[in-house]
Amino acid sequence: MNATFAPHAQVGPAAPAPPSAQAISMHGVTKRFGTTVALDDVSLSIPPGSICGLVGPNGAGKTTLVRLLLGLERPAAGTIGVLGLDPLCDALALRERVGYVPDTLHADRWMTGAEVLRFCRGLRRRWNAPLAASLVDRLGIPLKTRVGNLSRGTLVKLGLVAAVAPEPELLLLDEPMAGLDPLAREEVVETVIAAAPERPWTVLFSSHSLDDVQRLADSIAVVVAGRLVHHGATDDLLAAVRRVRMRVDDALPRPLPAGIDVYGSQRSGREWTLVLRDGSGGAIERLRGLPGVEILGVDPLSLEEIFKHMARAPSGRNEERSQS
Amino acid sequence: MQIDPRRHLPIYLQIAEAIRGGVAAGTYRPGEALPSLRELAVTLRVNPNTVQRAYDELSREGIVEARRGLGLFVAERAPGDARPRAVEEVRAALERGIRIGLAAGLAPESIAADFRQALATVTRSIPSPVPPATPPKLRRNPKEADA
Repeated sequence: MNATFAPHAQVGPAAPAPPSAQAISMHGVTKRFGTTVALDDVSLSIPPGSICGLVGPNGAGKTTLVRLLLGLERPAAGTIGVLGLDPLCDALALRERVGYVPDTLHADRWMTGAEVLRFCRGLRRRWNAPLAASLVDRLGIPLKTRVGNLSRGTLVKLGLVAAVAPEPELLLLDEPMAGLDPLAREEVVETVIAAAPERPWTVLFSSHSLDDVQRLADSIAVVVAGRLVHHGATDDLLAAVRRVRMRVDDALPRPLPAGIDVYGSQRSGREWTLVLRDGSGGAIERLRGLPGVEILGVDPLSLEEIFKHMARAPSGRNEERSQS
Repeated sequence: MQIDPRRHLPIYLQIAEAIRGGVAAGTYRPGEALPSLRELAVTLRVNPNTVQRAYDELSREGIVEARRGLGLFVAERAPGDARPRAVEEVRAALERGIRIGLAAGLAPESIAADFRQALATVTRSIPSPVPPATPPKLRRNPKEADA
């Protein structure tokens, strides 16, 4: 053993110790590439047994976040705990407990599917062979075809089997559904559900499909231009955000009264449309009480609509919105 | 059972709604077992925790009950509980529509006429799971709107 340190009082502002009760805990994590800030002061906790969908425009920092959790990148600031361990110091221990499907799979083109799985199995201490066999069967993966000749969808499925067979406690999926046809996407979603061990695992997956997030995820984390702009239960979000249409005779008071937080507003003539961050806590009543305001309608939004509003809201930066 | 992630209703509520409807329509009968969490999660391709929330909701309503070690079953007195709930949902949806119409300046009679027409169109397009029971309950609402 190297130097040992006597326990001593913590100096400086008490950073919240990464609670090992969380499967993933990030506190104030910042990552820069040169002068580009890829992640900016991100704090995110995911309890064990839950599934989190990570969404954000291209280049928002989703892949960087996943790579930080794997110890493939070093944060410029902040602390990261994965299954109670530090991904930089305990990379080997974590490798046994974390499954990972990258956005592009690196496998030798000349290897067959069977060879890829045998190779992966050799790297792992634990390997649930019946599970792997049943998934290969269920997903219809041709094991004798060389990887170079497989479609992207089949490759992702193969990667998923390789990640799931060691029965990880945490599964990290970087855009597993990207570029897949609707059938293959469904199969990937189904696999993540069907392959879950009896003791529920934690899953973090990034995706552009809000449908998939709503099907799979307990919570949704939204990253816009390197900042985590929202993390919470998907159902709570659907219950909170409301679109209010109203007729405004004169002018809306600006800024809006306290307690009325909006993602955005739109106006055509006397009709205003506001998207309220939380329409449950009396915000609508407060709007109704404004002079010269008549509420015409209050509607819920789909997760996809909510996401678009978050990505465009001033707290996320507008210029990052374009799809690259 | 079908769920639609694009609907604005959380998926767990969609599942609860579907099972409630199934109990009311007799596709799930009192005393029958419901599919296990995992089974239903895989069939619907949704998170098992979501199915759990739907089942919790239905337990709270007394429509299903847990039997230790055996799983979830449709409660013996469930259909009676399920139907008022469906009526409540219909009423809420109607009231929303009526409010939109009134805000747009439509006369109550014209909204009622639209309702009758929509009812006829939809009834023709989907075969009702329980033909005899539904129409009388639905017909009360537009009259209330007329008043």
